[in-house]
Amino acid sequence: MARNPIADEVAIVGVGSTGFSRDSGGRSAKALACEASIRAIRDAGLGPGDIDGLVGAAEPGGPQPQEMSAALGLPQVSHFSSPTPVAVFALVDAMNAIYAGSCDTVLLYFAYTRLPWNSRSAAQDPFRRRHTLGVMPAPESVNAAAAYAAWASRYIHEYDVPREAFGRVALNARAGAKHNPLAAMKAPLNMEGYLGARMIREPLCLLDMDVPVDGADAFVLTRTERARAITKSPIVIHAATVGLVGTNDEDQLPSLARHGQHVVVESLRSKSDLWLEDVDIFFPYDGFSIITLGWFENFGWCGPGGAGRFLEEHWDEASGRVMIDGRIPVNPHGGSLSEGATRGSGHIREAVMQLRGDADARQVPGARNALVGCGGFFFNSQGAILRRL
Amino acid sequence: MALSEIPSDAELVERFPYANIDHDSKALYTGWLEKRLRMNRCDDCQRFHHPPKPVCPSCWCSSLVPSEVSGRGTIHLAMFLHQGPPAPGVDYEKAPHPVVTVELEEQEGLRFTSTVVGCAPEEIRIGALVELDWVDRFGAPFPVFRLVGSR
Repeated sequence: MARNPIADEVAIVGVGSTGFSRDSGGRSAKALACEASIRAIRDAGLGPGDIDGLVGAAEPGGPQPQEMSAALGLPQVSHFSSPTPVAVFALVDAMNAIYAGSCDTVLLYFAYTRLPWNSRSAAQDPFRRRHTLGVMPAPESVNAAAAYAAWASRYIHEYDVPREAFGRVALNARAGAKHNPLAAMKAPLNMEGYLGARMIREPLCLLDMDVPVDGADAFVLTRTERARAITKSPIVIHAATVGLVGTNDEDQLPSLARHGQHVVVESLRSKSDLWLEDVDIFFPYDGFSIITLGWFENFGWCGPGGAGRFLEEHWDEASGRVMIDGRIPVNPHGGSLSEGATRGSGHIREAVMQLRGDADARQVPGARNALVGCGGFFFNSQGAILRRL
Repeated sequence: MALSEIPSDAELVERFPYANIDHDSKALYTGWLEKRLRMNRCDDCQRFHHPPKPVCPSCWCSSLVPSEVSGRGTIHLAMFLHQGPPAPGVDYEKAPHPVVTVELEEQEGLRFTSTVVGCAPEEIRIGALVELDWVDRFGAPFPVFRLVGSR
């Protein structure tokens, strides 16, 4: 076992969300972040004076921690930071700050807003269209989002994978979103609909990509010892990690057999007493469907190239979704593909709601342990295991 | 190009408006003006790397020599953009725009990303052999690939 003194020492005691939509109706990202934050702090039964740490993912267009402190009137904060997306960077920072004593109770927030380069309607918005990406890149690039389509081509080449393998990721997400009031995309989807969707970066189509949305999630974290006094059901972070390999430039990645996800899995496994056999719900990130297939294979649910077949074998026809061994649902909230592009905060929120027993129609009976594989292959691979004490 | 003709930083930025050029990558783009694809090679351990970095990631030597590569290699990744950033000569409505990452023959894992010209889309496949060619973009040379034997 690797050293993991922080195991179970930090708890999530409050959760708030605005829900997600293709258009928030003229509200700023800061307004959305405030709404989710107030909900999370009230959910924990706390007030502004109880928050002494502020961690907000540095999402484009999102508010800085000092702006949030000013907006919410937090009297005194002794730790604040804005870690790069995706979500577990911020979760790890908050957790470490609490454990190290930099602060006691953190408000952790994630605010998302559609931007001119990923939403035609945002490009028409006079406020939003002033956001730019800087230098307009050449099309001949596999950087950032394009990397996943490029490496999907390699995955298909190496393992002779049919499009239906990717399609099952999209269908599973949509089936979950149907029962999630926070989700943006609820229209029914079948394989015919997936296969007919327009290509964007072939081999990936529109439904292989997460949905740009407006909305926000927020969490309150504190020491587990204090959490026990606040709530009868503290959800603790059993282990959390991020992972990076040296050669992580998108087009120079050594191979699909060695990237950030592999480092995450090795690190998480060595820090955790719990593993696949203990998991009640699985949250593989799905910013792109290929990432989800990667998480199935790299966590070891199946072998390399086997995720499509695994999803087919563990498909529950009645509910139109994956149920691993007939028992373990996958992204039951709809994931980034159908709840909306929350860059992982949605996955963490749903894990907490499920472990608290507050997931309503989606509730997994008696769920105690959740496994989260967040981020992609290059420079944002991360993982966490959350459990109910 | 003689030494006296080395472009200024301002001129480089002007000639390649779509590129994020900095002190570490300016030799790469200076090479393009001469239709030469030059990649950083470590003067000590002789390993290439790309994109350009300030030190050799293999041995930390900072004596790096922009060295011409053949541009011959094998398609490693291949995607087709049905929409994307605008560029001269790229019409997404007319045909999906191919983008390939090519593993160069000089060194395992050394790759360069561009498009493929002069062939049908179905010929652009992972494993296909390609060689370097140059096209014009905004009045400056731009490196592209052709299938070997398609010239």
